[in-house]
Amino acid sequence: MSEWKQVGPDAQKRYTYQELPIGDASIGMPSERRKTGLWRYLRPRFVRRFSPCSEACPAGNDVEGFLAFAQQGRYGEALDTLLGESPLPGVCGRVCFHPCESACNRGAFDEAVSIQGLERFVADGEPTSLPVPGPSRKEKVAIIGSGPAGLTCAYHLRRLGYEVTVFEKQAVLGGMLRLGIPTYRLPRSVLDREIDRILSLGVKVETGCRVGHDIPWEHLLTWDAVFLAAGAHAALSLGIPGDSAQEVISGTAWLEAVNLGRPVSVGSRVGIIGGGNTAVDCARAALRLGSNPVIVYRRTRNEMPAMEAEIEEALQEGIEIQWLTSPIAVRRRNGKLVGLECIRNRLCKPEPGGRARPEPIDGTEFVMEIDTVISAVGETVEEAYLPPGLKGEQEGAVWVDSWGRTSLPGLWAGGDVATDPRMVVHAIGAGKRAALSIHASFTGEDLVELGRRLRTGAKGAFSIDRYLNDDLPGVELVNEVVGPDHLNLHYAEPLERAALPRLDADQRVRDFSEVNLGCDEQRARAEAQRCFRCGECRGCGNCYVFCPDGSVLFDPSAHEFRIDYEYCKGCGVCGNECPTGAIVMTAEGEV
Amino acid sequence: MINNPRDALFKEDYFHPGHPLCPGCPGGMALRWIMKVLGRDSIANVGATCLCLPTHVYPHSLEIPSLYIAMAPSPAGISGMSAAIRILKRKGVIPAEKRITVFAISGDGSTADIGMAALSGAAERNDDGLYFCFDNEAYMNTGIQRSSTTPQFSWTFSTTKGKVQRKKDLPKIMAAHDIPYVATLSVAYPEDFVRKVEKARDMGPGFKYFQIHGPCPTGWRFPEHKTVEVARLAVETGFWSLYEVVHGSFNITYRPRKRLPVVDYVKLQGRFQGLTAQDIRTLQNWVDEKEEGPGS
Repeated sequence: MSEWKQVGPDAQKRYTYQELPIGDASIGMPSERRKTGLWRYLRPRFVRRFSPCSEACPAGNDVEGFLAFAQQGRYGEALDTLLGESPLPGVCGRVCFHPCESACNRGAFDEAVSIQGLERFVADGEPTSLPVPGPSRKEKVAIIGSGPAGLTCAYHLRRLGYEVTVFEKQAVLGGMLRLGIPTYRLPRSVLDREIDRILSLGVKVETGCRVGHDIPWEHLLTWDAVFLAAGAHAALSLGIPGDSAQEVISGTAWLEAVNLGRPVSVGSRVGIIGGGNTAVDCARAALRLGSNPVIVYRRTRNEMPAMEAEIEEALQEGIEIQWLTSPIAVRRRNGKLVGLECIRNRLCKPEPGGRARPEPIDGTEFVMEIDTVISAVGETVEEAYLPPGLKGEQEGAVWVDSWGRTSLPGLWAGGDVATDPRMVVHAIGAGKRAALSIHASFTGEDLVELGRRLRTGAKGAFSIDRYLNDDLPGVELVNEVVGPDHLNLHYAEPLERAALPRLDADQRVRDFSEVNLGCDEQRARAEAQRCFRCGECRGCGNCYVFCPDGSVLFDPSAHEFRIDYEYCKGCGVCGNECPTGAIVMTAEGEV
Repeated sequence: MINNPRDALFKEDYFHPGHPLCPGCPGGMALRWIMKVLGRDSIANVGATCLCLPTHVYPHSLEIPSLYIAMAPSPAGISGMSAAIRILKRKGVIPAEKRITVFAISGDGSTADIGMAALSGAAERNDDGLYFCFDNEAYMNTGIQRSSTTPQFSWTFSTTKGKVQRKKDLPKIMAAHDIPYVATLSVAYPEDFVRKVEKARDMGPGFKYFQIHGPCPTGWRFPEHKTVEVARLAVETGFWSLYEVVHGSFNITYRPRKRLPVVDYVKLQGRFQGLTAQDIRTLQNWVDEKEEGPGS
C-alpha cells in the first residue's frame, strides 16, 4: 500500500511510464489463476486418423506419408516411405488400378490427386536409404513364384530376418509383371531395378525350377514355412465349336511369348475375345506387331473389367471394340480359320450384387472375317501340381483365410493362385500379409492384436513398417477414416489436376516404347500440393490462430501444436476449423 | 510445420488465457489478434462491453495498461489519452520518439447508439487512436437487447418477434467523417484482419475506425464451435463485406469466389429461427442491393 500513497500530482516525475502503479494494477497475468479448463465438457484432442487413400490401398502403402514428403520436395524420403510398405512402387506407379485415387477426398472437391503419377515420379528417383535385412533368424522360408506376391513376401521376410528362397518356373523373375504386362506399360528397366533391389537384400533364387515337378512337395513341406504364389496361368476355354483349332491361341500364353521376345505369329486380322486387361493388352500388342485387332466383348464398355485408362488408350490407338457381341463358333475352310461367327446381345437387368447378364438376340448372327483368335476370357489355377489335401475355391483358386493361411499347416498362399482379386496391388498386399503372418507363426504373436495395432483402415490393409520400426505416430491414432465431412473445405484452393503426358497415339503404335511419360519435377511438386493430408496435422495453424482462449500452444522447436487443458474451455472452434480433421472433440471423462 | 503467411499471428500473447469470456467468443480471438499486432506499447480503453470482463474484472487477462470507461465516452477516452501522451512527451516524461498506440474497444451498442456523439466528435477532431467496434449485433453483455446494428428480422429479448428496422451502416457513417482509415473486419479472416490493423498502426496520427463482425454464440443462438463458420458465411453470403476506406478511397479487400445465398448464413442461427421465406427474400434483396447496387 505504501506504493499507492506516493501517487500524487507529481507521480509522473517519480515513475517511468512502465512503472506507473496504474500499470501495475493491470500488468501481470493474475487471470492465469482462473482455471477455465474446469468449464470444459468437450475435450479437443490432436489425433491421427486414417486417410481414405491409405485405407484403400490393398498393399497398405502410406500414401499420405509419401505425399507429405513430396510436398516439401523431399522425394528421396518419399521413396523411403513407399519402400517401407512395398518393394514395387515403380511398378504400381505404372500399372496399378489406383483405388487410392477413387477414394481421395479431393474428388468431392474438384478432382482426385494424381497419386499414381506421383508414386511413379518418386519411384523413378533414388531413396535416401535402402531397406536392410533384419537380424538373422534361423527359420527358412520357401516362396513359390516370383510374381508381385512372391517378391513382396520375400522382401518383407528378409527385412524380418528370415532366410528366403524363391522358386521360379521360368528362367526370369517377375511372374505376371514380366510375362503378362507388355513393355509399353511397364518398361523392363523399371522392373529389373526393383527386382534387383529386392534381391540385394539377400534373397536366394532358384529359376527354372517347377514345384511338384523338379522339386517335390514332400521336400518343400519340410521347410519351416512355404508361401505359394504361383499365379493363375491356365487359360479358360471359350467353350464354342472349333475353339481347339490351332489358330485359337490363349491370351496369356501369347502375351508371354511376346513379352519374352519369342517369335510369335499373328495374322493380319485378329479377333480377341474378352474384356479384361489381358484382352486389351493382347489387342494393343497385336497392333504394335502390325496386325489389325478387334476386341469382342459380350457386355458394354461400362462392364469391361479392364482399366478405364487402358480402354481409352486402346480406342485412341484405333482399336476396334465390338461390344455386346458373343462368339458362337469358329469358322474354318480348307483347314484354315476364316472367320468367327458372332451374335449380338442385349443386357438384362443386373442381379443383386452381380453384373448385368448378356442375353443373345435371335437373328443377329453375323460372321467376322478374321484369321486368328486370341482367347482372353480369364485364367485359372492349374490344379494338377498342387499338393494333395489343399482346400480349393471356385475356379481352382486355393482357399486362404484373412491372414493368407491355407488349409495345410505351414503353407501360406496369396496372389492369383489364392482367392485374392487378381490385381498387382492385391498380390503385393497378399505377399505382405503372408510375411507378417509367417513371422507371427514363429514369434507366437497374436495376429488379431497385431492387425489391430498395424491397421491402416477398415479394409484389411496394414503397415509393416510400423511393425519393423515400432514407430507409432506421436499423436493418438484413431480408428476412423476421414471423410469429406471431417474436412473444412473452405481452406482448400481449387487447383487443377496435372494432366499426365502420353505419347501420341500414332507414334506409340509403332513400337513397344512406354506410352505414359510421367511428369517432371515442377508438375509433381504442384500436384503434391493438391493433397489435403486428410487426418494428419499439416501445421496450418488454424487451431492456434482461432483459439479464443489462447489455449493452443505452438512449440516452434518441435514444430507442433499442443492444447493447454488448464484453460481450454472446449468450445471446439479448433476442431471445426481444422482443414484436415486432425482434431476430434470427445466428451470429457470419456476414455 | 508452419507454412502459412500468418507470421504476425505467431507472436507472444498479451491477452492471456484464463479470461471469463464464453467458450467460442469471437471477442477473445479479436482482442488476441489486436494485441499481437499492437504489441506491449499500447494502452487500451475498454468500454462497458463483454470485453471489460477479461480486462477489468479481477483477475485480469490483458497485460497492458487499460482504462475502464463507461459506454458513452469510450471514443472520448482516445481523445484524452492521446492528448495525455502528447503532453507527457512534451514534458519529457515519455521519450518523444517512443510510439504508444492508443486504442479503444467497445460494443456495437456503445458505438452506434450510446457513444455515437462522442465517436462522431472524436472522429471529427481526428484524435490519434484506433477505435474498434466489436459488432455482435445486439447488447450482449446486458442480456441480448436490440441495438441499431441488429439486423432486420433478428430475434433479441427486446424484439421477440424479430427486429423491424435494418442494420445501421456504421462504417459508411464513419467513412463520411473523412478520417484516414475505416475498415471492416471479420474473425473468420485473420490475415485480412491483421493486415488492416497493421496498416492503421503504421499510419500517421489520426482516428482509425474498425468494425469487427463477431458472431456471438450465446446471443445469436448457435453452437459455440461454429463461431468462425458463421463469421465466414456472413462474408461469403455478402451479409457482411470486408473493405477498407483509406483517405476516402474505397476498396474491397476480400471478394467471395461465388456469393452464397443468404439462407446458408441465416439457417445456422437460432435468432433467425422464425424467419419466413418472404423474410429471407427480403434479406437477400437487401444483400443484393448492398453488394451490387449504386454506391457499393
